[in-house]
Amino acid sequence: MVLAHYLKPYVAWVTGWWRNNHRASSVWRLTRLYTGLLMLVVGILLWVLYQLSVGQLGRSQSQQLSQLVQQQQLLAEELNQQDFISQFTLQAKQSKQFVLAYSDGNTTYGRLASIPKRAKTCPRLARFPVYNYNEIRLFSGCVQSLSNGQLLVATDDEALFDLRELFLQASMVALALALGLGLMTGWFFSAQVLRRVNSFNHIAQQVEAGELSARVPIGPRNDEFDHMAKHINKMLAQVEHSFQAIAGVTDAVAHDLRTPLSRLRLRIEQALLDVEHQDIGAKQLAQMLAELDQILSTFTAMLELTRLEQHQQKSSFKAVDLATVAEDAIELIQPLCQDRQQNLQLTILQPCTISGDATLLFRAIYNLLENASKYAGEQSDIELMINGDGFALNDTGPGIPEEETDKVFQRLYRLESSRNSPGYGLGLPLVRAIIRLHGGEIKLENNRPGLRVAVTF
Amino acid sequence: MRILVVEDDLTTQQFLQRALTEQGYQVDVASDGQQGLFFALEHDYQLIVLDRMLPKLDGLTVLSTLRSANKTLPVIILSALDSVDERVKGLREGGDDYLVKPFALAELLVRIEILTQRQRGQLDSQTNTLQVADLSMDLLARRVWRGQQEIQLQPKEFKLLRYLMEHAGQVVTRTLLFEAVWNYDFDPQTNVIDVHVARLRKKVELDGLSPLLETVRGVGYRMVAQ
Repeated sequence: MVLAHYLKPYVAWVTGWWRNNHRASSVWRLTRLYTGLLMLVVGILLWVLYQLSVGQLGRSQSQQLSQLVQQQQLLAEELNQQDFISQFTLQAKQSKQFVLAYSDGNTTYGRLASIPKRAKTCPRLARFPVYNYNEIRLFSGCVQSLSNGQLLVATDDEALFDLRELFLQASMVALALALGLGLMTGWFFSAQVLRRVNSFNHIAQQVEAGELSARVPIGPRNDEFDHMAKHINKMLAQVEHSFQAIAGVTDAVAHDLRTPLSRLRLRIEQALLDVEHQDIGAKQLAQMLAELDQILSTFTAMLELTRLEQHQQKSSFKAVDLATVAEDAIELIQPLCQDRQQNLQLTILQPCTISGDATLLFRAIYNLLENASKYAGEQSDIELMINGDGFALNDTGPGIPEEETDKVFQRLYRLESSRNSPGYGLGLPLVRAIIRLHGGEIKLENNRPGLRVAVTF
Repeated sequence: MRILVVEDDLTTQQFLQRALTEQGYQVDVASDGQQGLFFALEHDYQLIVLDRMLPKLDGLTVLSTLRSANKTLPVIILSALDSVDERVKGLREGGDDYLVKPFALAELLVRIEILTQRQRGQLDSQTNTLQVADLSMDLLARRVWRGQQEIQLQPKEFKLLRYLMEHAGQVVTRTLLFEAVWNYDFDPQTNVIDVHVARLRKKVELDGLSPLLETVRGVGYRMVAQ
């Protein structure tokens, strides 16, 4: 109780520290585990060593003692009491290593004045001091009842006792060293590992706080943590990119929807004036409706694009034969191409079946065909080729300048040359979103002359 | 013909009521799901226009409750939720058609017309021939005649003409045509359907013969009545 009272502040300090450093608990747990294992190994080694050295000595000692007891028992049975006592006294005197004593109740024979009280019945050994040849030494032995008295056998145990003590001390030192070493190295290594984990945590917190440009530092070792860091950084880059894209789109929406909205507003304002003069016509209203429809479809397309980019519709995926979809799309676009005297052709090099949404794939292919027909010009050749891992669309039109091939996939981006044709710059982004939703990639290449759109799944 | 409109947005509700009344329907309105369900179970309607997001009881619940009460009348779902998944969900619960907001009033009227027609007439499915004026179509042989003269059609043109003939006298929208002929569920947003219809028209309305297919401005097409 007194001890507990004194320890109280220390315990409080330790638990307080523990609580404050709770986040380091993994380090501590790993360290404990590591140290525990190290101590277990050292303990087992010491135990084996003990058994092979000191333990062996102790066992042979007790063996000798029990032989001695057996010998005296035999003698006590064969000889009468007097002969046994004289024989015993002689033997007790001669024996230096062993101490023998025999008590018949009245007298104690041998080297001791009496049987020590601490001695126990054989084969349980007990240790007791003996005044032997002018010095007090530790003996260990036991007492055996014979027919007419009590027999004590003991052997000098001082050396073995010292050895045992020494071994014990050495073991303690070894275990303490193992403990210290274990704690130190365990702490060092787990802290090393967890420092990396904590750096990830730190970055995650930064990102959570809105700092999207934060990146996990990548070490030079190329280990698992570096791999993880690379993946996380890639993911963060993607997220940051999406965020910027959304911000960009907000601007673009503001711009591209504001123009038709303000036009519409002007028209309505004008119509109100016309109502006063009572000459508003159906034509004006139809124009407003068309304007509004344009705004709504831009809006719908943007929402759709966002949803596609969020990869939400996979539940409806089924096996889709690209050739069938392509044929349907070509049947739909064919009259437009014929009006423009374009030569539209479908070539199936190898059938291609992918898991996907037929309607979305149809839209993607139709959009590309529509683009090709719209921009390739009259009397051009358009060829849709289905190959084993996707499709390619070639045309012989003016193509797209190399430096623009990435930009055309941005929302609401329109090439200088196509600013004046109908459309709102969401077709290609939509196509790419659909292709990506199906795990594919789309590339624009130079067809020399013309444009080649290559899609691989 | 009595129609129930369940819609919580007052402006939309009033517009629908007015437009449908002008079309000669008798229109009841309900402003929340509970009221809508009550009306639908109490009275006999030929069709329900049902909004999805409703106060008190959402549209899909109303629909599934109606269906489990053995009410088989056609239901058109109106919704601002337009993803394919939502659409499938709506149709799976027993909706007969799904229209995404914002929609063109004309589109809704055409779809209501087609659904009520289907309900009333249950188009004679046994016939193997269709006839509109002197235009006839053999559905089994897949052949078409104008008077005595046979008309050669591409497979898609045949489907297009068949849909128009089946709905002769009714207005059909471009979206309906596209869905019926191409079987893909979206609005191509271009005049491509017009180009297809123009080609078909050229083949069907041979020189000097009376026009059969009329354009309804801002809505779609109508084949003359039989």
